[in-house]
Amino acid sequence: MKKWPWAILAPAILFVLIGIFSPWLMTHDPAAQDYSALLTGPSGAHWLGTDYLGRDMFSRIIGGARTSLVAMVFVLVAALAIGVVIGSFAGYVGGKTELVLISVIDIALALPSLVIALALMGVFSGANFDWMSDYWKMIVALTMAWWANYARMSRAVVVAELQQPYIEAARVMGASHIWIFSKHILPHVLGLVVVYASADAGALVLAIATLSFLGLGVAPPTPEWGQMLVDGMSYIEENAALVIIPGLALTAVVVSFNLLGEAFALQKVPRAVRGRLLSRKKAARSAEDVARKAVEA
Amino acid sequence: MSAPIYEVEGLVIDLYTPTVSVRAVDGSGFHVSPGETLAIVGESGSGKTVMTLGPLGLLPEGVAVDLRGTARADGKDILSMSPGDLSRLRGGFFGVIFQDPMSALNPMLKIGPQLAEQARRYAGLSAEASRKEAVSLLARSGIPDPEDRYDRYPHELSGGMLQRAMIALALAARPRVLIADEPTTALDATVQAQILALIRQIQKEDGIAVILITHDIGAVSVLADRVAVLYAGQVAEEGSAIDVLTAPVHPYTRGLLASVPDFRSDSASGTKEIPGIPPNQAQLVAGCRFADRCDQVEPQCHTRRPALQTVGVGPVPHRVACPVVIAAEGIVTHD
Amino acid sequence: MQRMFMRRTGLALLLMLAATALTFWLVTAAPGNVAALIAERAAGAGADGEMIARIANDLGLNDPLPVRYARWLGNALTGDFGISLRTGKPMADEFAERIPMTLALLAGGGVLALILSLAMGIAGAASNGGPLDRALHGLALVGASTPNFFVAALLVIVFSVWLGWVPTFGTAGLTSWLLPWITIALFPASVLARVVRVNLQDTMSRPFATTGFAKGLTRQAVLLREALPNIAIPFMTTFGAQFTLMIIGAIVVERVFGLNGVGAFFIEAIRFRDFIGMQATLTLFVVFFVSINLIVDLLAMLADPRLRRPRKA
Repeated sequence: MKKWPWAILAPAILFVLIGIFSPWLMTHDPAAQDYSALLTGPSGAHWLGTDYLGRDMFSRIIGGARTSLVAMVFVLVAALAIGVVIGSFAGYVGGKTELVLISVIDIALALPSLVIALALMGVFSGANFDWMSDYWKMIVALTMAWWANYARMSRAVVVAELQQPYIEAARVMGASHIWIFSKHILPHVLGLVVVYASADAGALVLAIATLSFLGLGVAPPTPEWGQMLVDGMSYIEENAALVIIPGLALTAVVVSFNLLGEAFALQKVPRAVRGRLLSRKKAARSAEDVARKAVEA
Repeated sequence: MSAPIYEVEGLVIDLYTPTVSVRAVDGSGFHVSPGETLAIVGESGSGKTVMTLGPLGLLPEGVAVDLRGTARADGKDILSMSPGDLSRLRGGFFGVIFQDPMSALNPMLKIGPQLAEQARRYAGLSAEASRKEAVSLLARSGIPDPEDRYDRYPHELSGGMLQRAMIALALAARPRVLIADEPTTALDATVQAQILALIRQIQKEDGIAVILITHDIGAVSVLADRVAVLYAGQVAEEGSAIDVLTAPVHPYTRGLLASVPDFRSDSASGTKEIPGIPPNQAQLVAGCRFADRCDQVEPQCHTRRPALQTVGVGPVPHRVACPVVIAAEGIVTHD
Repeated sequence: MQRMFMRRTGLALLLMLAATALTFWLVTAAPGNVAALIAERAAGAGADGEMIARIANDLGLNDPLPVRYARWLGNALTGDFGISLRTGKPMADEFAERIPMTLALLAGGGVLALILSLAMGIAGAASNGGPLDRALHGLALVGASTPNFFVAALLVIVFSVWLGWVPTFGTAGLTSWLLPWITIALFPASVLARVVRVNLQDTMSRPFATTGFAKGLTRQAVLLREALPNIAIPFMTTFGAQFTLMIIGAIVVERVFGLNGVGAFFIEAIRFRDFIGMQATLTLFVVFFVSINLIVDLLAMLADPRLRRPRKA
């Protein structure tokens, strides 16, 4: 991994930090309504103004970061766990089991993740799921929509690694299956999957926000940026800030995660040296030239 | 020999990638005249390709190039040409054959139409005439059933056929200079001989200038009128093929020729390799670059850059960059 | 070649079958749900367990799952997708009304995404690291990160509220299609623009690009005539994937702009527990996605000369 431009990670790191420390960063209770200050602009008391119920926007944004962060972490960890286990198992065991699992994975991948999540939210609206809160329905729905991609990746890595000669060598030496898997193969799987997940996190944040926007995700009064945006749509003409602020927050976080993903992906494409780096290299070269001429003179 | 049609002097070329800076050509030059074949010889990384194709702007994208020196084609300065003029020069005046035809030809394009287009644009032929010309070029390059091959994609031809197709492509614009960059390296031995024979035949018939870039001494002996030997971006020795191949002076040239296996020799030690490792061209080194591998090395070799000195008499100057051997063997210089 | 076509098509059909079976199982697994809803509609609060059980029996909802699925499949193949629990209209009618709207959104969005992405990617490659290239890169990055509902909201704010150029809701004339189309196209266009740009860069550093220069072509010519054909396959594959993702954009856009499409219906079905409607719409989605993927795969096979005419000698 080349030298990291830390600027890329800044919004993502900020997002995580704000999410973790959000209760201490809030200036007001995000659910506290104040009918004397509806739809106000930024002021000393309310740094980002208030919404249509007089709730402090700044605190709600901070709270929304935590909501998204927590949900995102839950889903990613669960989807990764399920995906890696199923995919690795399929790749390692092979045979008919693998074929069956591959078919399951392919079917799960036949629809875009968000559509699956939406469909599952629909399923969960049935009476037999009433014991689950909306929040947990969303988490489960997203997890079940997200695992398949990781399963496919894990399986591919396992299959590729199993063909390496050192696996055969380990087996000959009497290593057990579990040993071979956890010591040799799992690191490769995790390496690829974690890299992908860090970029995927952005898509997940978007998915959570989209579900909330459609009314099928996080319900008020828990602050969530997508939900804040949909509520703000009705007040677009009076105070567009209700829509713009959560929207900008979402965009900033996703941009950061996407940059992360790009930084990983672009390492293989040849890029010419230009600009300041090129001038520096040329200058270094001329200096070497001069030094050499001095010796040869 | 008539006046040179492509000549390059005092060329210094630095290549910059994100990780390393390399001086591929370190104050070298060459020239070639119509009707003659110049072979540029050296190991991989010696700068042969960069020196020849660099002035034409034909180095791969993705590497930053810094080029200084003089380069003239047909008497005109090509380094100060406009990009448009240079493009036309590349297409119409120069023909280039690259090393691996399988990767040098666009897999998505049919072969024939590319030839026809070159003929149309540079030889000024009509659409119909250029198609006929393309077919006849394919035939001339030794491709059987050229009418059929016209509409084929590169993956449908074998390596040897593809190289012939690339030769045809290079000739389609009726160039005055043909540059063949390791044209036989990717081919089987039997096909290699055929390709070389084809190139020689074309030169005889069309009277063009040919530059053969290669590390294969055998090919040099078959085709070349003149030879230039390159080491680490510097010219070690140059002259007529006979002079350089039969009476080499520079230690590198001697080492190179001694390392060519001769299946006719009886001696147990068939080849002698040159000791040491290839040069690291990311660093600039004072003096002679061959010094740390040379068996004739003297202290001056590390501090003084050896200049090319003319040795021997003859129509084609034989020049050598090694004052040590010249002095040691009492060779007369004519500068 | 033919056999590859047939094989892919066969697999696609199998996939459709499996996916619809799965959604059928998920959505209608609890027969009580459907029966309860029907009972509610008919008798309001007076619906009791006995009534629900009777309805369930009448509709055959207590039969084993494979039987129900087979029955449903048979109906579906003749165009009968049941009756929406929410609107009371036959699903076939709902589809007839709503599919054209969604298709129009997808088609317009798709075309816009195609043109925009090619323009951005090629312009970036032509600039090759210059200011335009970097600006377009930034634009694509933001475009691929902005939630589509935010894009819709911003467009509405700027063009309807502030400038008043375009009506806020409904579709009245061509101009009112613009905001929905731009909203749907922005994300796919941004992703595709990067695909085009990165693939062009990769292609331009390959040996045959140098041959193109040796032929005397200018950089623009090499870019457009030698490099561009080589990105056709990755472009098509990504376009296909993005096109299927556009259905989510359509869902959001239909909600925001109050359009009468299949996406809006789907959301309403979820919110109102219209299981029949959900099942039917999901089936439609499955058919849509699998078909698009199939078409893209087949087109990609056709586009590669190496697959069109296998090696001879």
